[in-house]
Amino acid sequence: MFSMKKTGTILCALTIGLSGVLAGCGSSGKEQSASTGSTSQPAASTASSGPVEIDFWYALGGVRGKTIEDMVKKFNETHKDIIVKPAYQGAYQENHSKVLASVAAGNNPDVTMVEIASIAAFADAKVLEDLTPYSQGDEKKYIPGLMKNSYWNDKLYAVPFNRSTPLLYINRDMLKEAGLDPNGPKTWDELVSFSQKLSKKEGDKITRYGFSTPVDIWFYEALVFQGGGNILSEDGKELTINNEAGKAPLELWSKMVKEGIMKNPPGENYNAWDVAEQDFLNQKVGMIFTSTGSLTELKKNAKFDMGAAFLPANKTFGTPTGGANLVMLAKSTDAEKKAAWEFMKWMTDTEQTVPWSIASGYMPVTTEAIDSAEMKAFYEKEPNFKVAVDQLQYGYPRPMAPGYKELQDVIQKELQRAMLGQATVDEAMQAATEKGSKLLKK
Amino acid sequence: MRKAATVQELPGVSQSKTEVRSQAFAWSDLASRLRPYLYLAPALICFVLFFFYPIGSIIYLSFQDWSLINLEQMEWVGLQNYQDLMKDGDFHQVLGNTAVFTIATVGIGLTLSFLLALWLNKKAKVYGIIQATVFSPHIISLVSVSMLWMWLMDPQFGLLNAGLEAVGLPAYTWLTDPKSSLLSLIIVSIWKGVGYNTLIFIAGLQSIPGDIYEAAALDQSPWWRTLRRITIPMLSPTIFFLLIINTISSFQAFDTIAIMTQGGPINSTNMLVYYIYEQGMDFYNGGIASAASVILLILVGILTAVHFLVMSKRVHYR
Repeated sequence: MFSMKKTGTILCALTIGLSGVLAGCGSSGKEQSASTGSTSQPAASTASSGPVEIDFWYALGGVRGKTIEDMVKKFNETHKDIIVKPAYQGAYQENHSKVLASVAAGNNPDVTMVEIASIAAFADAKVLEDLTPYSQGDEKKYIPGLMKNSYWNDKLYAVPFNRSTPLLYINRDMLKEAGLDPNGPKTWDELVSFSQKLSKKEGDKITRYGFSTPVDIWFYEALVFQGGGNILSEDGKELTINNEAGKAPLELWSKMVKEGIMKNPPGENYNAWDVAEQDFLNQKVGMIFTSTGSLTELKKNAKFDMGAAFLPANKTFGTPTGGANLVMLAKSTDAEKKAAWEFMKWMTDTEQTVPWSIASGYMPVTTEAIDSAEMKAFYEKEPNFKVAVDQLQYGYPRPMAPGYKELQDVIQKELQRAMLGQATVDEAMQAATEKGSKLLKK
Repeated sequence: MRKAATVQELPGVSQSKTEVRSQAFAWSDLASRLRPYLYLAPALICFVLFFFYPIGSIIYLSFQDWSLINLEQMEWVGLQNYQDLMKDGDFHQVLGNTAVFTIATVGIGLTLSFLLALWLNKKAKVYGIIQATVFSPHIISLVSVSMLWMWLMDPQFGLLNAGLEAVGLPAYTWLTDPKSSLLSLIIVSIWKGVGYNTLIFIAGLQSIPGDIYEAAALDQSPWWRTLRRITIPMLSPTIFFLLIINTISSFQAFDTIAIMTQGGPINSTNMLVYYIYEQGMDFYNGGIASAASVILLILVGILTAVHFLVMSKRVHYR
């Protein structure tokens, strides 16, 4: 009796639950087909003068997301024949996953942001449209240092949009108080000596750290470049970090952590970045590494004289670039692609990139923008915003390999192992190289 | 001839008549036999569409080398994905983490909830208030809960370590050390689940008829024997239900991991479902993700079957 009753109840619950799911699916399906339907219509009849609708997925929230929405609104007001529908899809990785799923389902956006180290993976899988025929040399307007992550197999697949470099952020008040140069350390040795002077102890407890950085692949890349090394070989088929340049960053960081002058912020990936920035704002650490894209946000919240500087040099200065590029999807129709290019071109043009840079802290992407009177006047007033642009002369592209997302996770795990004392620096680099070369051969 | 023919035809006519009749009979019979299936159809179609079809396709996909990023290049590789998983040290760690997490959350969580329920199963306002307090984590979104716990667990400036230091204990590493990170997640998970489990236990306790306890009291049965001989057996359907629900949900832990640790540090909190997500969505290893999903399905199936086989003998339904 009981089991009969139970099965009945379960079936009943299932019917109710699943019909809910069905209803939900049905309505969203309808919406999707409606939106794709309307976007493909103009393509079918280009002769009719109805506006082309394109979908634009972006991956920045907060103030930066709102700025993007405002820019799109302005584009729609000035372009009567194109309607861009913007949609926030979560941070870079989440957006990547959603874009791929949408390509598989056949309702993909026409323009989206792709993090620069993933361009290779997307281009290699033929998800992206070759932009060469659309651009026709127009790409020369962009700063050359920002274009290195735009090409795959000598074809142009992306244009720079929100681009960054890591910076050394410094609490100038704290440095002055300790009798240090308020422009910050210039070399690794100075970084160590500055951090020693800034750190404070009360009994056994460290109450203030001189320096903090997430043990993140991006900063590791920077420090490898500074030692004259590189992450991948020229052909992108081998990992080249099992050498002096690859080991030096880990040796520096673990020495500083052991000495109690650097905080290794807890949390994985961006969680650690948030902790580092919070500690910096709360004046629990004196100097941090973070992206130039955080300038506006940090400036707004810092209750002290905040400065930005080049990452300190080892053998040379050196920095990866970062951020995301705009790409066009290969599966869109011709009419959509034409409209998409119009939109991408407009978003990254001098007239837009100047206010975008001022609002966000990301770098302006055209050479013309950097020389513009407006930007110059702004840099005069806010010299911190110019540091990333100046640092670009020491810029390197992020490694270009289709499997880099997984590879960087492998490297990062080994970095952590060494930082937490589970492996020596040599062992960690050895293990990373072994696992990494297996991945690169796949 | 004609007569004979008509005579001969007659039985045929009657035959066809009976056929028609029996056919008509069969139709209505068939209709009445089909009717239940018709009523079941909506549920059944959903079930096939959202349950059997995905299971079938994930099993099929687990034998392929494929990736979300390039669906056109799908290649049959047989058992290769499973072999890769079996050889992968990280995956072994993931399975171990999942087992430890599940046993700890279910074991400690249910024991705690049971004791709380025994204590709170009384009729006074104050118990109602405590019950509501214990239950409140259940209605807060797991995302907010995870973020709050991350702040609490900050090793330098978090409230938990401030508390430990205030009573003279050394600060704990919480999420930053691979040795303590899994434990930290277990704590959050138990804290989150204890309220719901307690509520169900209390409901179970209240449905036990009072006269049994009266009889036990008349017999002067000591409290522990009452607990062992009356309360626990009478509560066994509830225990059984909670055991299954909790085991499955612990096995499928995801949100807390995604927000608090993302499987780190060094893979120490990576569990099956998060591993599947990471492989499929971050690293574009669709085949590996599908194979791991099939393994998850098999494990949950086995666990549930074992529960039913072992427990159903001990469960006492009224």
